[in-house]
Amino acid sequence: MKNRTLKSSLILLAAIVLLLTINRVRNVVFAAQAVQVTFDRDIRPIFAQHCFKCHGEQKQSGGLRLDTKAFAIRGGVIVAGKALESRLYQRIIAPDGEQMPPAGERLTAEQIALIKSWIEAGANWPDAESKSASETTATPPKHWAWQPIKKSAVPETQNPKLKTRNSIDAFISTRLAQSGLTMSPEADRRTLIRRLYFDVIGLPPTPERVQQFVNDRAPNAYEKLVDELLASPRYGERWARHWLDVVHYGDTHGYDKDKPRPNAWPYRDYVIRALNEDKPYKRFVEEQIAGDVLYSGTRDGIQALGFIAAGPWDFIGHAELPESKIDGKIARHLDRDDMVANTIGTFTSVTVHCAQCHNHKFDPIPQEDYYSLQSVFAALDRADKKYFANDPAMTARFNQLDGRQRDLAERKRVIERDAAKAAGEAVTKLDAQIAEAAKKTGNETEVNALKAKRAEMIDAAMKPEIRAERDAYNAELAQLSKELSTFPKPEVVYAGTVLYGTGTFTGTGASGGKPRPIYLLARGQVTTPGREVSPGALSMLSFQSARFALPKDAGEGERRAALAHWITDQNNPLTWRSIVNRVWQYHFGAGLVTTPNDFGNNGAKPSHPELLDWLAAEFRDSGGSLKKLHKLIVMSATYRQTSAGNSQAEKSDTSNTLLWRQNRRKLEAEAVRDAVLAVTGKLDLTMGGPGWQDFVVEHPEHSPHYEYGLADPEDKQTWRRSIYRFIVRSQTQPWMTALDCADPSMRVDKRNESLSPLQALALLNNGFMISQARHFAERLQQERPNDLAGQIERAYWLAFGRAPLASERTKFMAFAQSYGLPNLCRVILNLNEFTFAD
Amino acid sequence: MNENRSFQRNQRRSLPTRREFLWQSGGGLGALALASMLGRDEALAQGKLHHPAKAKRVVHFFMAGAASHIDLFDYKPELAKRHGQPSDFGEKVETFQDGLGPWLKPLWEFKPYGKSGKLLGEPVSALGSVADDIAFVHNMVSKSGVHSTATLLQATGFLLPGFPGAGCWVSYGLGSMNDNLPTFVVMPDHRGMASNGVKNWDAAFLPAQHSGTMIYPGTDAPVADLFPHKSGTYITRESEAATQQLMAEINRAHAASHEGDQRLEGRIRSYELAARMQLAAPDALNLKAEPAHALKLYGLDRGPREWPKEINDEEETFYFAQKCLAARRLLERGVRFIQIWSGNDNGFPRRNWDSHEDVRRDHGPLATGMARGCAAFIQDLKQRGLLEDTIILWTTEFGRMPSSQAGTGRDHNPYCFTNWLCGGGIKGGITYGESDEFGYKPQDRSNPTQVYDIHATMLHLLGIDHERLSFYHNGIQRRLTDVHGKVIKPLLA
Repeated sequence: MKNRTLKSSLILLAAIVLLLTINRVRNVVFAAQAVQVTFDRDIRPIFAQHCFKCHGEQKQSGGLRLDTKAFAIRGGVIVAGKALESRLYQRIIAPDGEQMPPAGERLTAEQIALIKSWIEAGANWPDAESKSASETTATPPKHWAWQPIKKSAVPETQNPKLKTRNSIDAFISTRLAQSGLTMSPEADRRTLIRRLYFDVIGLPPTPERVQQFVNDRAPNAYEKLVDELLASPRYGERWARHWLDVVHYGDTHGYDKDKPRPNAWPYRDYVIRALNEDKPYKRFVEEQIAGDVLYSGTRDGIQALGFIAAGPWDFIGHAELPESKIDGKIARHLDRDDMVANTIGTFTSVTVHCAQCHNHKFDPIPQEDYYSLQSVFAALDRADKKYFANDPAMTARFNQLDGRQRDLAERKRVIERDAAKAAGEAVTKLDAQIAEAAKKTGNETEVNALKAKRAEMIDAAMKPEIRAERDAYNAELAQLSKELSTFPKPEVVYAGTVLYGTGTFTGTGASGGKPRPIYLLARGQVTTPGREVSPGALSMLSFQSARFALPKDAGEGERRAALAHWITDQNNPLTWRSIVNRVWQYHFGAGLVTTPNDFGNNGAKPSHPELLDWLAAEFRDSGGSLKKLHKLIVMSATYRQTSAGNSQAEKSDTSNTLLWRQNRRKLEAEAVRDAVLAVTGKLDLTMGGPGWQDFVVEHPEHSPHYEYGLADPEDKQTWRRSIYRFIVRSQTQPWMTALDCADPSMRVDKRNESLSPLQALALLNNGFMISQARHFAERLQQERPNDLAGQIERAYWLAFGRAPLASERTKFMAFAQSYGLPNLCRVILNLNEFTFAD
Repeated sequence: MNENRSFQRNQRRSLPTRREFLWQSGGGLGALALASMLGRDEALAQGKLHHPAKAKRVVHFFMAGAASHIDLFDYKPELAKRHGQPSDFGEKVETFQDGLGPWLKPLWEFKPYGKSGKLLGEPVSALGSVADDIAFVHNMVSKSGVHSTATLLQATGFLLPGFPGAGCWVSYGLGSMNDNLPTFVVMPDHRGMASNGVKNWDAAFLPAQHSGTMIYPGTDAPVADLFPHKSGTYITRESEAATQQLMAEINRAHAASHEGDQRLEGRIRSYELAARMQLAAPDALNLKAEPAHALKLYGLDRGPREWPKEINDEEETFYFAQKCLAARRLLERGVRFIQIWSGNDNGFPRRNWDSHEDVRRDHGPLATGMARGCAAFIQDLKQRGLLEDTIILWTTEFGRMPSSQAGTGRDHNPYCFTNWLCGGGIKGGITYGESDEFGYKPQDRSNPTQVYDIHATMLHLLGIDHERLSFYHNGIQRRLTDVHGKVIKPLLA
């Protein structure tokens, strides 16, 4: 295989050299290809990759623009049927110095031939904006990610020197061998257990567990450890954090005011629970998009809908601006944009949001696909969803009544407000009197009398027909209140839902959840709506019709159900690759595709395409068990390699793309924080519920100020795991942010990894670290009273899972004797070894 | 094209980025890891700018809540003439709170200043002393009349959260000019943050070292975690020094046994830098070190004192000028980009520019304090020769309507507002782009100025082609100017 690749690259290289040489003499006519060349599949990607940068929307070098038909076909740039007369073709085959693209970006011989065939065949260029879905799916595109998953055979590794443990190793070692590389040896047990603990559950192993594992003679000692960790509830807590990064979960709305979202957490807990229960991935996906429809009558089916509402929400744009205003329309358009980008980005790794203003520049995604996806979510808003877990009918009835009640109350309020205004100063005076009277205790009779008087005055100020209307509201409200009192207290989750709203934030509840019409927006402007679109998904994939075949009277939920089924279809090539790639990334620090949110032409290509497909197929066909996938990966010899460097291997594969070793991992903000608490003995493992808050809220009435500096580091509720932190969007937690925590306003497929003086200062000086260092010292004193050598020994085992070296012991002894145990503990928590896992 | 490509640090390929490469390839590259941490692994290496730069630094003033152009900078005699008459825009107008009351004349008297004779409203009359250094842009338009999205647009170039602030892009493009202070410093309003909070200046998808670092001058803890938390009573000056030394020793031994991972050495250096910052930051922010005449220039000679409960000129001047003076000291020490905010969130009582109810009440003190601080700052930079290569940009998220709201207030006007710039290659004493006779929309509606143009001009002066400074994220090479922006040539000196 190595030879084949090498040979074919050599042949290709030779062909290009040859072509360029011959081109200087005469034009080579390539044999017409058997397959018809089409613009979208064959030509546009070439233009996009090589030409648009200088000849596109943003820049038109030499006045040439190739991204739009109208511009490209004028002035002899492309002469249909006549390649040699087309300036475009003349320039791509021109001699060096004149050839386009300029040096370093040459087209391949194949690409040149494609362009030639396309021009010769008439340069058929479909009108971009009016391109229909069927046109784009007429022929399957070539890009790897759009191809069906092909489960290739596991390579046979005949070389006995290759240490393989499972199929993953066969793929990895075969590929390594092609580059003349081999796997690194297996890491020692101490390293393995520390790696596995952080990777699988996000916590360090206890000294006792390290010793037990190191001394375990059983042949399946490692496997036992893997099973134990995957069965731990800590696993779900660790991996839910990865998922919440991707879906940009937060506990406040963001934007202006940044109000809290007190009912977001049930979704976070749902994710933890789903992972711990090893819910089949298909169901996990479906629940998050349409759980209320597809898994009706289950709590998970409702709480999972928190996914749709996970991202930021523009409170002012919705609550203070009606949909009739332009800014109100923009807010709702952008809100749906977030839902679409989150859904398609998370589950299929496609950047569909790039098709909002125009057809996608790099991938075959027409604008219409994007708006068809908006149409799927067109009935929804982000809001608190009240529900009865096991009774959808009761939920529906309750929401209807509850919505009606709030609507009437609001109407009544407006009528009475206007009447009070009309009644004038008398009411204002009376209000002051009431306020004064209410100050005294035991004065209810007087207050009630004044209130009654006020009601009379207001009634008198109303026109009779208005009063009649108000009275009718009162009657219905009394009826509603009576009926609602028969319901038990509903559960609540902040979710994507049909909203029964009031005022400017009405939602679609009053119209029975009828989806808003969605129009194709020229240049993404809400002021220029084009034709109405119907719900659907990506037309470049042909396994299913891209526009959902729904009956005219289908409910909005059926749209979401259709999208969920489209995503989880066995033949969807993106979904299964997307998830196995994400899981792989978290285990190795880099994905097989290093752009987990972008499988398109602008993203990275898979480093091991056969392995990616094999894993995707294996995962899909064996029930979509994430735990099985984890186990497969961590049991591999590939995973168990040492992370030590190797100057020889580094020369040929600097970034370790081929995995000749494991990657040393810098721990994420949450893992560092949880590890500190675990080591100091303060970690509280209480699961679930509202997020703990390590800030003090000031001015909650308008725009809450989340003051982290005022929090008490000794507040025990903040000693729970980081996954349960209350996540504020506008004022991100400074300590976590310094450690590259995910930004809840962005869909984060891969954490940044930085080192900075601010990070050092956060770890040295933040109240959390200062107080935990003291607790660490207290623990050591308690466990090894008045035995400094023993305390240092214990500290090392707790923090690093090993005994200190003699030199370390000496240095720490001297240091602790001068500066005390808390300072020593502060040093340990700040050492490189604490922050990295080998 | 080759050159072009070198500016786009493309992270999408499986090829390592420059930094990854440097860190992973091992062998004496610690200095480069260090450079990266300092923000010196800039996209445009020094001497390789897209074109020669006129400016090196930027100071960005942001008036949160939407400052009224027509009461401060953009005089409209027509409004005075029609004051009290029903407003008529000649078209249907949509405003945020339907504030379309009668025409409301400018709330203050305007007088001419400098050789240019620029007319300024009374609260900003202090800027008269530097009017000939300033270029006004009166035909700014926004894409949103909602504070949050409009603020994001001016601060990051996008309506949605999740994009790097302008200062992050400059930090990413040009890197740092010092080795003990952040590259990009933000001074939020001392009372709290504007809409979107840190989302207006965080690095989003750019590497984290390009984030704005918040500094609160004149407070006990101007930089978060610069010194141990107050509960750290076990820490002394001596223990601190010994801590640094012990950590370095243990970490170096650890790094030696883990060859080929430059991150380990990089992290050791980050602690050394932190120690340096502990010395440099208090020195930079020690306003007491300023001579009396400097404090007087900024109106800080009387120091902090008890302030009245109501918003007032003296208090506003004190806090704003304090930020300006701190900014000058940071600029002198090589900070690249400083953003100064005026205006808390849009709550009550108003401590921001969102004067729906009463322009005079809020804008009066806020504008007076801002103008005094800015004028002193500009004069100071000029005296020190810093103005010529420091761009000053004054902005807000949108303007206010020429019609009245609640009699004495004004509603949002996303259709027209004012920016002004000075220093760093900007032509002073001019006005570019007029608004119409009411200050309702640009005079030439088909050629308004947008934030993209302002950002493109700013980057141009810094030696950067705004179309060629980009970063790959979630499918696209992102730019500060999105897919828009043109350099405003008439603004260039």
